[in-house]
Amino acid sequence: MADERLVFKEVLPKQGLLFTEQTPMPILCKPKIMPMKSVTLEKLETMQREAQEAVKRQEQEQKLQGGFT
Amino acid sequence: MAAGTGTMQMDPLFLAMSFYRRRKLEECAEVCTQLLKKNPYDQASWCLKTRALTEQVYVDEVDVDEEGIAEMLMDDNAVAQLPRPGTSLKKPGTSIGHGAPTPGVRPMSQAGRPVSGFVRPGTQSGRPGTMEQAIRTPRTAQTARPVTSASGRHVRLGTASMLSQPDGPFINIAKLNLSKYAQRQNLAKVLFEYIFHHENDVRNALELAAKATEECQFKDWWWKVQLAKSYYRLGMYRDAEKQLKSALRDQDMVDIYLYLCKVYRRLDQPLTAVDIYKKALEKFPGETTLLTGIARIHEELNDMTKAVQLYKEVLHFDNTHVEAIACIATHHFYTDQPEIALRFYRRLLQMGVYNAELFTNLGLCCFFAQQYDMTLNCFERALSLASDENMSDVWYNIGHIAVGIGDIQLAYQCFRLALASNNDHAEAYNNVGVLEMRKGHTEQARAFLQAAAGLAPHMYEPHYNHGLLSLKIGDLQSSHNSISKSLEGYPDHSDSRNVLTQLKEDFAAL
Repeated sequence: MADERLVFKEVLPKQGLLFTEQTPMPILCKPKIMPMKSVTLEKLETMQREAQEAVKRQEQEQKLQGGFT
Repeated sequence: MAAGTGTMQMDPLFLAMSFYRRRKLEECAEVCTQLLKKNPYDQASWCLKTRALTEQVYVDEVDVDEEGIAEMLMDDNAVAQLPRPGTSLKKPGTSIGHGAPTPGVRPMSQAGRPVSGFVRPGTQSGRPGTMEQAIRTPRTAQTARPVTSASGRHVRLGTASMLSQPDGPFINIAKLNLSKYAQRQNLAKVLFEYIFHHENDVRNALELAAKATEECQFKDWWWKVQLAKSYYRLGMYRDAEKQLKSALRDQDMVDIYLYLCKVYRRLDQPLTAVDIYKKALEKFPGETTLLTGIARIHEELNDMTKAVQLYKEVLHFDNTHVEAIACIATHHFYTDQPEIALRFYRRLLQMGVYNAELFTNLGLCCFFAQQYDMTLNCFERALSLASDENMSDVWYNIGHIAVGIGDIQLAYQCFRLALASNNDHAEAYNNVGVLEMRKGHTEQARAFLQAAAGLAPHMYEPHYNHGLLSLKIGDLQSSHNSISKSLEGYPDHSDSRNVLTQLKEDFAAL
């Protein structure tokens, strides 16, 4: 069986000119899969945001009170 | 009780407990405050209020790990300064290299690690290599890094919780007689958690824990773990290790193993941590937190094949594990199998995860798996869900879709929009630069590429593109500089190597 196997021969053109030209191309950065956030991280972030807002609110209230007196 | 009012009323303490169980913590604290006003010595409501306040700011300590600049650069805990390949988390490049993704396929994070499919606190950006890099890193608005972990999130949370109380803190720790509380085990544990999590006063917490563990003749593993937690926060890792090992002798707990591994990771001994995880797995087979721990370490050591294998094992025991699904999906996406990644992300969607990140990933997978009908819908959804923080990444990825369909104008607009929502988006700068190069606007292209290279010196693309641009206009010297930098970021990049050999030939001819 083995000797009946077809043997492929490479075909090289003998006539004409063969050009291969490689020009380096600029590269784009790859698409970025966005990482999912862990529950802990999300909780930390919401807590931080809430804390910041609470502080801001308090400061504003203090400012308002300061304005009236 | 409450007979005079005519209506039936619940016992307030019972009501407060019910609130606590239903996690209506603010209401619970409110009711307890009323009770304490009537009777300041009411231990039950004091205890409950303390727990309610703690619960409001409680995060799992195993997961929280934030490294400040000071810890990272003035770290004298690491055993070896020049670790052997594959034994250190600090130099991710020194992996053994089986299945390590190349930056040519998978983008790198700032620490020179391939981007992960999942962010946890602390592993967000890894360790930067040099002082310069470390100091530059926090400037990017989204990843502010505290100077030390003592000034990080914990403190901000602690002070904020105090500010929002009009008549001062609930418990004045400075006036507490800690030894008195240490004798009363029922109160001491609650008080410790309050001081540690709510007030974030680690030193007093440590004092209380030390006294309490003495009170119970060093037999309570819980106190030993708390001591270790306090030592860890104070940066005394060897002491933390001792306490945890002692606690393990008293009681086998998954939690203690996890803490111990956390300590070893901080000491930069990932292989020891893996050993501990494996030992723990013998006692708790199939415990997903332990398996995930090993997988994370392999991921950080750049051994993606092993990491994915372990994440798959995690899914075998818990098929709703978001981290495992996300990491496997990311791995498939960057190994040229977007359609498999798509199935994993779809699974996340089925599980009820609903955010901009997921829809962006779905959109990207759909596009690269040639399911074009879904792509734009996904991105529209992502845009509508995106917050200020992740908007830039969504636009950046849409830009890629535009490049893919050949709409260069749209691509340009998308990358500019990415830059508009995040001024420090290095990848977008690079891509705008490349598009400008194509248009033939050399000067603008150079400006964008330089901006990208300045923001993210670890990426090889801007350096390489800048090198090409300089080569084109005949500035061979700066071309050589840029290409060398590109090869530093990605030593096996064949195009950079070709350009470099060409440059060398040119220089030799001169």
